[in-house]
Amino acid sequence: MAEIASLIDGFGAALSPVNLLWALLGVTIGTAVGVLPGIGPALTVALLLPLTFRLDPAASLIMFAGIYYGGMYGGSTTSILLNTPGESASIVSALEGNRMARAGRGAAALAAAAIGSFVAGTLGTVGLTFLAPVVAGIAVDFGPPEYVALMALAFVTVSALLGRSLLKGGASLLIGVTIGLVGIDEQSGDARLSFGLPALLDGIDVVVVVVALFALGETFTRLMRGTGGETVEPVRDRAVLSRSDWRRSWPAWLRGAALGFPIGSLPAGGAEVPTFLSYSAEKRLSKHRSEFGRGAIEGVAGPEAANNAAAAGVLVPLLTIGLPTSATAAVILTAFQSYGLQPGPQLFSESGPLLWTLIASLYIGNVMLLVLNLPLVRMWARLLTIPAYAIYAAVLVFATLGTFASGGTATDLLVLYALGLLALLMRTAGVPVAPAVVGLILGPLLEQELRRALALSQGDPAILVSSPLTITLWVLMLLALALPAVARLVRRDVGAAPAREEGEEAFTRS
Amino acid sequence: MSGAANPPGSAAPAGAAAAPAPVPEGDDRHGHQASIGLGALMLAAAAATLVDAAGLEGGSALIGAGAFPTVVALLLIAAGAALIVRSLAKLRGAPAVGPALRARLVRLAALIAALVVFAGVLPYAGFTLSSALLFTAAALLLGAPHPWRTAAYGWTLAGLLFLLFDVLIGLSLPGGPWGF
Repeated sequence: MAEIASLIDGFGAALSPVNLLWALLGVTIGTAVGVLPGIGPALTVALLLPLTFRLDPAASLIMFAGIYYGGMYGGSTTSILLNTPGESASIVSALEGNRMARAGRGAAALAAAAIGSFVAGTLGTVGLTFLAPVVAGIAVDFGPPEYVALMALAFVTVSALLGRSLLKGGASLLIGVTIGLVGIDEQSGDARLSFGLPALLDGIDVVVVVVALFALGETFTRLMRGTGGETVEPVRDRAVLSRSDWRRSWPAWLRGAALGFPIGSLPAGGAEVPTFLSYSAEKRLSKHRSEFGRGAIEGVAGPEAANNAAAAGVLVPLLTIGLPTSATAAVILTAFQSYGLQPGPQLFSESGPLLWTLIASLYIGNVMLLVLNLPLVRMWARLLTIPAYAIYAAVLVFATLGTFASGGTATDLLVLYALGLLALLMRTAGVPVAPAVVGLILGPLLEQELRRALALSQGDPAILVSSPLTITLWVLMLLALALPAVARLVRRDVGAAPAREEGEEAFTRS
Repeated sequence: MSGAANPPGSAAPAGAAAAPAPVPEGDDRHGHQASIGLGALMLAAAAATLVDAAGLEGGSALIGAGAFPTVVALLLIAAGAALIVRSLAKLRGAPAVGPALRARLVRLAALIAALVVFAGVLPYAGFTLSSALLFTAAALLLGAPHPWRTAAYGWTLAGLLFLLFDVLIGLSLPGGPWGF
């Protein structure tokens, strides 16, 4: 098993004392930022990216893996204690988790989430370890037509699943694609949508867009709407599970992981879906069905596990095909590019050792989070008592710092503000912002592959449906247009979602 | 069972305005107005993209630089128009929300002004001073109760960030005349 040997080498690199320190730093900062209300994993990763700019590639990846998993974990703490899910995938954990917290069982809910994250994150990472090389092996044979069909499929599923309606999701995606047009076209050298401004010739940096849409959008929305009515539930106990909690949680963790990883690793948007599926599965299977809606621990354990397993699953299409299917994955893709790695089928052969170090760091980060979070749960909860005005003023400072660090001019800042206002408009209209981030990344890739395909066939569009695989993918895309209806059915089981379902930091799962 | 719990409600900031409306986001009157605005913006962006694409060399060739933007622009028009039509139809029956819109727009404008000033003075006044001022202005606009204490927080945060990023990590932040 070549994977195991490579993974052991990866652990060898990741377990050096210095690298362990970077991992610890990553999970700590990732959790601390991810805990802040309204800041989900995508934004956490984007805001903290400048921290890793000056490290060597291995150290940056290790710290980055820590930030990613830490941000995920921090988000669940917030949704349980504050009932403001920082991302759509934790909406479901907030349902039962917040009820448990209100009933004084917050510590048990957090422990079920933490251990569930660990179990499912580890299982998901194991899945990644063995599945990713296989998928990469298949993807090596993909030509431009296959990529075009895959991306078209991802476009539709992302639009359909990351929003309340296909129209709103699609509008967001198109806005992202349009932003992605800005700058010099690599194939012809033409400057597009740059209006003669030199700062726009390089295009608009993904980090700037993510920070604008999530951080500025959230801050402006808070300013316009006010932030009343949030109550932090106190954590009274130590975070331990009773014997009956364990008995009820562990099957839910395993089922959640079994739903989350496969769905997350599909080249389609929406790790939100496995959390909803897990919730309804737990509700149906539970012997304590009457407790659902009043704080059933399975309802936290299952979705939380599904969420984390899906987060590992999302890395499969990202690393092997270069296809990000969530806003967070889009940011991760950018981070990889800034470290000089190009995700895709060649990644394993070209940058194998670095990649296995990253995968080893994911395992290590998971263990660290568990060790760190069970005892420190109260400290994280305390971060939630920082008043909102201080959090968002600090977020603004951080956002401008990150933009300045990645671009370096005042024009970049003005672009940031303009996009922040766009995000405010989108949120007010109930249009999710996450698809825009995916569109921003996938748009240029789609165009590139489309032009390659048409160049191969000398302009004959029939090349796009020239193989059984492409035809299958296009059929799947047509079927995916019916997804919003299906998603609504799945959601109906969950019942009334929290009032702020759409606006948050939003639709960022994983 | 220690008493070190966080008192409930301590996170609710002072100066918070009305609680969020119970209607799903985007379905109140402002939401539909915003949808119409967003749709209009998409139409404008589509027009700009079409003009821009037409001006590119060989813009109409099947695989030229202008082909993909043209398709995107057409889709933008379709989606933007659909947003406008749908929201116009629903606007009349939509529930209205709190009246304080004007005051909030003023606050938003003030925050934008603070941000623009920040972008302008950052290269001259240095990161620490500019960021401390930005933090203070933003926090006060977001409802911070104690101006002097807020300013002190701002200075502390900006100073720590400068130490972390410039001194420890080595990203060079603008120093201004006094080097920080």
